[in-house]
Amino acid sequence: MLGYLVRRFFIMIPTLLAISLIVFLIIELPPGDYLESYVSELQAQGETVDQKHIEFLREQYGFDKPVLTRYWEWVTGMVVGDFGFSFEYRLPVSDVVGDRLFLTILVSTVTIIFTWIIAFPIGLYSATHQYSWGDYGLTFIGLLGLATPNFLLALIMLYFANVIFGTSIGGLMDPDYIDQPWSWDKAMSVLEHLWIPVVVIGTSGTAGMIRRLRANMLDELQKQYVTTARAKGLPPLRMLLKYPLRNAINFFIADIGSLLPNIISGAELVAVVLSLPTTGPVLIAALQSQDMYLAGSFLMFLASLTVVGVLLSDILLAWLDPRIRLAGGVAK
Amino acid sequence: MRRSALFLAAALAGTAAFPAGGQPVLVETPLLEAAVKAGTLPPVAARVPAQANIAVLEKHGKSLGRHGGKLNLLMGKQKDTKIMMVYGYARLISYDENLNFVSDLLADFDVQDQRIFTFRLRKGHKWSDGHPFTTEDFRYYWEDIATNTDISSKGLPQALLVQGKGPTFEVLDETTVRYTWSAPNPNFVPWIARPRPLLLYRPAHYLKQFHAKYGDEAKLNAAARKENKRNWANLHADRDRWYRMDNPARPTLQPWHNSTKPPSERFIFKRNPFYHRVDKNGRQLPYIDNVVLNHGATNMVPARTGSGEADLQARYLRFDHFTFLKESEKRYDFSVRLWKKARGSQIALFPNLNARDEVWRDLFQDVRFRRALSIAIHRAEINQVIYYGLAQESQDTVLRKSPLYKDAYRTAWTAFDLSQANKLLDEVGLTERDEDGLRLLPDGRPAVITVETAGESTEQTDVLELVRDGWRQVGIKLLSKPSQREVFRQRIYSGDTIMSIWSGVSNGIPTALMSPSEFSPSNRLQLQWPRWGHYVQSGGKSGEMPELKPAKRLIRLNEEWTNATSASEKSKIWHEVLQIHADNVFVIGLVNGTMQPVVISNKLRNIPAEGVYNWHPGAYFGIYKPATFWLTEEKGGRS
Amino acid sequence: MSIETGNDRQLDHYVSKAPFDPRSIEALPPEQERYYLASQWQLMWWKFIRHRLALISGGFLLLMYGSILISEFLAPYNLHSRNINAIYSPPQSVHIFHEGAFIGPFVYGTHYKLNLRNLRREYTEDTSKIYRVNFFCRGDEYDFWGLGTGDLHFFCIEEGGTLFLLGTDRLGRDILSRILYGARISLTIGLIGIMMSFVLGMVIGGIAGYYGGVIDLVVQRIIEILQSFPQIPLWMALSAVLPVTWSPLLIYFGITVILAMLDWTGLARAVRSKLLALREEDYCLAAQLMGAKPKRIIGRHLMPGFMSHLIASATLSIPTMILGETALSFLGLGLRPPITSWGILLNEAQNISVVALYPWLILPVAPVILVILAFSFLGDGLRDAADPYK
Repeated sequence: MLGYLVRRFFIMIPTLLAISLIVFLIIELPPGDYLESYVSELQAQGETVDQKHIEFLREQYGFDKPVLTRYWEWVTGMVVGDFGFSFEYRLPVSDVVGDRLFLTILVSTVTIIFTWIIAFPIGLYSATHQYSWGDYGLTFIGLLGLATPNFLLALIMLYFANVIFGTSIGGLMDPDYIDQPWSWDKAMSVLEHLWIPVVVIGTSGTAGMIRRLRANMLDELQKQYVTTARAKGLPPLRMLLKYPLRNAINFFIADIGSLLPNIISGAELVAVVLSLPTTGPVLIAALQSQDMYLAGSFLMFLASLTVVGVLLSDILLAWLDPRIRLAGGVAK
Repeated sequence: MRRSALFLAAALAGTAAFPAGGQPVLVETPLLEAAVKAGTLPPVAARVPAQANIAVLEKHGKSLGRHGGKLNLLMGKQKDTKIMMVYGYARLISYDENLNFVSDLLADFDVQDQRIFTFRLRKGHKWSDGHPFTTEDFRYYWEDIATNTDISSKGLPQALLVQGKGPTFEVLDETTVRYTWSAPNPNFVPWIARPRPLLLYRPAHYLKQFHAKYGDEAKLNAAARKENKRNWANLHADRDRWYRMDNPARPTLQPWHNSTKPPSERFIFKRNPFYHRVDKNGRQLPYIDNVVLNHGATNMVPARTGSGEADLQARYLRFDHFTFLKESEKRYDFSVRLWKKARGSQIALFPNLNARDEVWRDLFQDVRFRRALSIAIHRAEINQVIYYGLAQESQDTVLRKSPLYKDAYRTAWTAFDLSQANKLLDEVGLTERDEDGLRLLPDGRPAVITVETAGESTEQTDVLELVRDGWRQVGIKLLSKPSQREVFRQRIYSGDTIMSIWSGVSNGIPTALMSPSEFSPSNRLQLQWPRWGHYVQSGGKSGEMPELKPAKRLIRLNEEWTNATSASEKSKIWHEVLQIHADNVFVIGLVNGTMQPVVISNKLRNIPAEGVYNWHPGAYFGIYKPATFWLTEEKGGRS
Repeated sequence: MSIETGNDRQLDHYVSKAPFDPRSIEALPPEQERYYLASQWQLMWWKFIRHRLALISGGFLLLMYGSILISEFLAPYNLHSRNINAIYSPPQSVHIFHEGAFIGPFVYGTHYKLNLRNLRREYTEDTSKIYRVNFFCRGDEYDFWGLGTGDLHFFCIEEGGTLFLLGTDRLGRDILSRILYGARISLTIGLIGIMMSFVLGMVIGGIAGYYGGVIDLVVQRIIEILQSFPQIPLWMALSAVLPVTWSPLLIYFGITVILAMLDWTGLARAVRSKLLALREEDYCLAAQLMGAKPKRIIGRHLMPGFMSHLIASATLSIPTMILGETALSFLGLGLRPPITSWGILLNEAQNISVVALYPWLILPVAPVILVILAFSFLGDGLRDAADPYK
């Protein structure tokens, strides 16, 4: 087990290095740079652009340095916890992102719980009643969530929530509570706003969850131990929950890897439409305006989370499943 | 004694006509009463300058207001906090509603030969933190910022240079400074009055702690690096963000100052207790206590405005949101107004006279070809379809509101006339056609013009759809291609783009005293002649020398305007510039006088129902002095 | 088998004269025989048609893909035909009876008025005017796949009338026609994209699975790296790289390639793990013992084993691609007008005015939902059928 862990851990380092290269490529590849997009933004408004000011900024932001130097400074900075500087905010990246992490995690966690609550019973029912109208109907509803483009659904729900319930549009709380200390009223206001993003983001995840649970359950249900258990007269529900379900949800553990970055980035597009104070819109805006260190460090952060997440789930699986532990490394 | 001094000074300064017999008895602002009582803030008489600027409200049909309330605005990006520098519009010298220059922060100013500018400050004027605002702040900017090689490594800003040379700066006494150039600088005062002004003063008392000259350079550099900044100059620039106004610690002279530390979704701008204006009743302006900026996705601003979340909103609202907002008027306590925009043309086509493709370049430099393209556009249809017939079909020229306006400038080569367009194209020599009826270029290629857009607005692609039909009928095919804003200008400058679409001149309501440089090659960012513009801008160092006669004449005229001393002379030059533009159709303007929806809370007073929404001159709402806006306690009221 | 032989009471030794068939005892009723002799693909088909929704979905998709061949004929108007007298016109309803009398399908004329107070274009039905809907009639002229021009349409309206079954947009363009034309881009982008990612996934996953060792390890890492990025930033970065000099058609292919490049990892993983698992199966061992070469083992024994799974998972990832295209359009990247795709139509509907005032512009969401549902059900059916021996 220890050998497996050590090996697994050392594989992570070249992976992270490769990721940092790709991230840097991503933020360097698009033509132009932040200042170009800054200039055209000023122009669109009619502001006159003093070329000298732009040149000054170019120097200030270090655009005059060669690419490799910038890469090196960025990577070595990250190792010591310095994630660079956001041009748009004119603040260190950690200040910009850190501020929004809490609400992002809140939204994502609630969404995941919501997804599980919906997906579990439906998946179980569909698996035990394969090809019944109930199976079809429930899968259909699940898929409907997947099929509707999220950003459109968000806008429509937002509008009607405003017209019908008078919920203020966008954001996660009434504007008056922003930057205020937490209180009962603030928490209630958050709850009032939270359901729209949760439902919109949740619906798209539910279908996948239902489908995987159903497929895994179907596999398990055909195994002989199920027949044995049935033959021995175990009550159906108890039998279901105690044996096949336990085996079927292994994939949830395998999912942790991909879950972590999703929790942090949130559903970017929905968050943009709903003006959520989460990290997603920051990332999108940073990519659009080529605020490269903000975008780059954030991407790097997300990717590292996945790598760590995969490591965690591999370790968990190895710990749970001796076959993997002994075979040494063919995980997931 | 102080009051009489105030009366005297105001009367002498002559910036505001003082009502005979009435002396304003200064009234304490309710919000600040507690602080004054507690002794943390001096009383109003000690806060307002001895020569306070007295707002003459009734002259503009405004009413005397009450203190209090907050104004909600919706914003997009973090850096939109700069809008408070624009709306606040406290400038040394500012435009009044009739576009005349009046002293605002200054007590008085004096210009000789357009070369020697003498500025006198108000005695007792204070920064928002209570520290006196004096000529030391001007000296600090000039000596320690503008001419400091660490901070301004690229030299003086363009606006301070005349023929490449800067001014002589003198401090005459504690309230008087003078700038002297060897040649006329007619753009100096307009620059000071711009929405993003030439800021000649800085809060020296605050910034000195970040300046190496006044502190320990090594220590400052260390502090800078801790914040990811290169050196102390960087740190200094960061603390001095006067335009973004997001550093709560930096004092300001604007009516409201920021109190929220970034980053945030909500910035609260609090009243500046030391603002220099009072009303006739002795109430210190601004009337409104707090201005709240709520940030969020820009595409949601219309929806949020429509649900009553903004008290004054025009930013991020487009003309096509009007109908939706009008519907919401019924449910919320606001009114939607249509203000005029003041662009020379809402949307214009820019043939690239510096295109790399020689065939196209020659064609575009042929005035007959440009005219033919212009009259093959059905502007009336564009107006009907996209602007509900409320705009004006026009060239890219000055608007009716400008004193320089003439009908002929607007209508030149705008009448839809296919047969004449065909005739002109035949004259140019494009007589051959292919089997689809497309004209053939001299080198045998079909005449296909690819118009590049910055790729962000559907309005532009829609307009191009409409232009396409007309051009097709004269045998020219139009393809529209979305570009990316980062490369849009690059491709135009390099000549890869043969035609682009963008908005026309930014100032469509100039007076003769404003520079006509937008109409002549003067800047590398101009889309119709980027290389010629660069040539002039760089003083002949880069770009290309214009060879086209009218373009050369425009450059000459711009120089003449700079040196002209009388208004009538300047006006004459302006008219020649506009006439050349009308004849030559360098830019194919489509429509102007388009509308900007402005949502105004029914409680908000002193904001006109009809107005001009423009960046420069105008500063959006700034020219209407938001410091004089006030919120009534009665419900509704406006109809 | 009976030994009774009529009236003959004498029990003597009986020898059947029929030729001996040692396998006769194993003979099966024809029904079962058919089952056991059927090829694997046939079995899958039988299992597949038991999933009725999948069958219906498959049929629906065939129709949709068929329609993009003849969009010009099906659409009542051309893609760019504008009608400036019918801007933001709501959907017109088709009637059959006029004041109790049978007329056949027709629409009433519309009366248009611009409300200058709120700048709303208001349309009212004018029941005094009747325009019949004709079938197989002449309308807008179009260029048919470069084969020549035509003007035959499946249906159109009588001269002088308008027929906007799903309303019009801000330039007075017929939404129905735009949806039909948009299908061309949106449906093929998924299909072409999936083909590319299929090939990529098979080759890379196959190599990793078959050779194992270092190659497997490297491929595994690459997949892990690619999957560790959130999708949208990757899309954004890659589509920003597409040169602006490219023609719309090239951009379209570029977007497809981008979608494919980020999609193959799942397939490669599936191929690899299936290969690893199947390699251990008894029949594979048997083939090896009988001296079959690796090429034959992979092609003959392993391929059919996972091909079906692959097709199923490929089908299931087409929706991601279609939605991916809409997401890219939403971000203003990738395809942009004047190209028309469902994503672009939806992006144009992404506006509060549309939701509140012109809800019919959201209708392009209907085909998106239907197609994605159909692909999902089809994929489910295929997957259930993929392992026919269960």
